[in-house]
Amino acid sequence: MRFSDLISETLHSLTANKVRSGLTILGIVVGIASVIAMVAIGQGSQASIEQSIQAAGSNVLTVMPSAGGQSGPGVRMGAGSVESLTREDAESLAGLSLVTGVAPSSQGQGQLVAADANANAQFLGVTADYVKVKGLTVASGSFITGRDDEKNAQVVVLGATLAEDLFGESVDPVGKRIRSGNMLLTVVGVLKEKGTSGFTNVDSAAILPLSTCSRYVTGSEYLSSITLTIADEEQMDAAENSVSGLLLQRHGIASADYADFSIQNMADMLETVSSVTGTFTTLLAGIAGISLLVGGIGIMNMMLTTVTERTREIGLRKAIGADSSAISAQFLAESVTLTLIGGALGILTGWGIGALAASLLGASAIVTLDSVLLAVGVCAFIGIVFGYYPARRAASLSPIEALRYQ
Amino acid sequence: MGTAVIDARDLTKVYDGAGAETVALRGVTLRIDEGEYAAIMGPSGSGKSTLMHILGCLDTPTEGAYLLSGRDVAELDDYELAELRRTTVGFVFQAFNLLPRSTVMRNVIMPMLYTRVSHDERDDRAAAALRAVSLEEKLWTHRSNELSGGQMQRVAIARSLVNDPSLVLADEPTGNLDTATGDSVMDLFARLNAEGRTIVLITHEPDIATRTRRVVRITDGRIVEDAATADADIRQYGNGDGADSAVSPRVGDA
Ligand SMILES: Nc1ncnc2c1ncn2[C@@H]1O[C@H](COP(=O)(O)OP(=O)(O)OP(=O)(O)O)[C@@H](O)[C@H]1O
Ligand SMILES: [Mg+2]
Repeated sequence: MRFSDLISETLHSLTANKVRSGLTILGIVVGIASVIAMVAIGQGSQASIEQSIQAAGSNVLTVMPSAGGQSGPGVRMGAGSVESLTREDAESLAGLSLVTGVAPSSQGQGQLVAADANANAQFLGVTADYVKVKGLTVASGSFITGRDDEKNAQVVVLGATLAEDLFGESVDPVGKRIRSGNMLLTVVGVLKEKGTSGFTNVDSAAILPLSTCSRYVTGSEYLSSITLTIADEEQMDAAENSVSGLLLQRHGIASADYADFSIQNMADMLETVSSVTGTFTTLLAGIAGISLLVGGIGIMNMMLTTVTERTREIGLRKAIGADSSAISAQFLAESVTLTLIGGALGILTGWGIGALAASLLGASAIVTLDSVLLAVGVCAFIGIVFGYYPARRAASLSPIEALRYQ
Repeated sequence: MGTAVIDARDLTKVYDGAGAETVALRGVTLRIDEGEYAAIMGPSGSGKSTLMHILGCLDTPTEGAYLLSGRDVAELDDYELAELRRTTVGFVFQAFNLLPRSTVMRNVIMPMLYTRVSHDERDDRAAAALRAVSLEEKLWTHRSNELSGGQMQRVAIARSLVNDPSLVLADEPTGNLDTATGDSVMDLFARLNAEGRTIVLITHEPDIATRTRRVVRITDGRIVEDAATADADIRQYGNGDGADSAVSPRVGDA
């Protein structure tokens, strides 16, 4: 049989049996598309979560107050509700060699009243270094200065979302005044939008000088966290140890088991989150695997239900002089063509669904080569085996046996 | 005596049905020489088609030997058998066996797909064969499952002839045809035979049988008469299938 005849017989056979070909291709498309879409969504959201953690800086340590492990009697208190970290702690940490930046902060809630709008916002009391340590950008005006902090100045820097909530989109709030409790705050700056990073959402925060926040908002000299940047990402563990050692010493605590603070290492955090989102991706891949199985069974079904008809055709072709290898070649060509078409459509569909779903979830879809190869490989394998094997078997029958096959 | 094209020796064919064995052939010995024109007759179920399938290398006997043009088919491999079916034998099935979803033209071209015949020549040969069986040209592009029984039968005959076989085996080739069309098919066979081809056909019709030169009569899987057409008393059993088929070929039924 000539190659051109093989191609034309294949196309003819596939188009003469449109329903059969269509259903087989559909099975392949479903199998492949579901795997690719699921994995793309899983990997996409994993990447976007990791990215937002990385945006907070992976060379960052966060020290937070916490009730000492086995220390006091009674109820264990959650992070933040314990008073153990002070500005002096933060200043002494700045002296450590690996530490390149220190940003102490305190947190509180409060009502802000502007000219035309008011909002309930999170107050962050910070020092001038905060903007650098957190990697923030000032969109207009300036950030809190050292002098503001020294003088308990009633100035505020607004997060992007909060600024919009209070003053609308078109107005530059710098110089405007906001009332909150017994403070009359002057807006000195607005931050560029940052997105959620780490634990706090600065976009909706009102940022005050630390001293102002302590006096008017929290009413306490204690801090809710100290954020540290470390010179070298490779030395996060060493830095964590020296920070921990210094604080234990300052607080007069003998063993780390009784520490009244805890240290969050962003690198560790990233690992934890990765493993959680990895599980999520695995789960999606599992669901995709089931769809692949269902798709595979669909393909197999299609191939096997046509065996009777195909076996007769094979008997006929043998009767008029086709040898087994010509028949095998023909059926192989058909299976391969179906899986190629189904595979291509499946990849495109999977890609499309993944991108659509991911955009609805606010992430981006990542189509990995692995998932494409896996999905196409499995479907092609099933399609070819179940298309080719019955043909191979039928070709070994005598023409009359094949023609009589029921 | 010429060269033997068909040389069947003591053929037996047993079908394994579900729980019941059917003996379709019980020792058939038959020799047909090159250029002969023979009719096989016999009642329904007597084993005519079974014999024909073996003679066309489409099925194998349970016992006995079959030599086609001097070659023992039991010793041929898949490729050699395919080549024989493709080049030497033209087979017309009792049930036509056309590809239902393909056009008439495609069905007739199909045997040539497995040969080296060029595209143009294929079309020419297919057209010539279809004309030879007087199939109207407007039907050539119809799907074969849109044809009447007689039309399908003629397509099946045309298909058997396109590879120019030296042996034509036709299982009731006129069974679905009216007298006039049947006659033209018989004219075609007579012409093919005059060109030197060996022709064996199965028929129930005495009128058809009288146009051949030799009649082989089978009953219950055995040859009961083998004579020159002139000497055979065709009329006597031509329509007498009823009497013969009272003899059941089924063995395991009881
Ligand atoms: N594949 C098969 N399996 C079982 N039995 C079969 C098979 N093919 C034929 N037979 C049996 O073998 C016997 C001979 O069948 P065959 O088709 O050769 O008859 P025939 O002479 O061609 O009849 P008809 O004139 O009706 O075509 C019948 O009894 C039939 O039932
Ligand atoms: Mg028959």
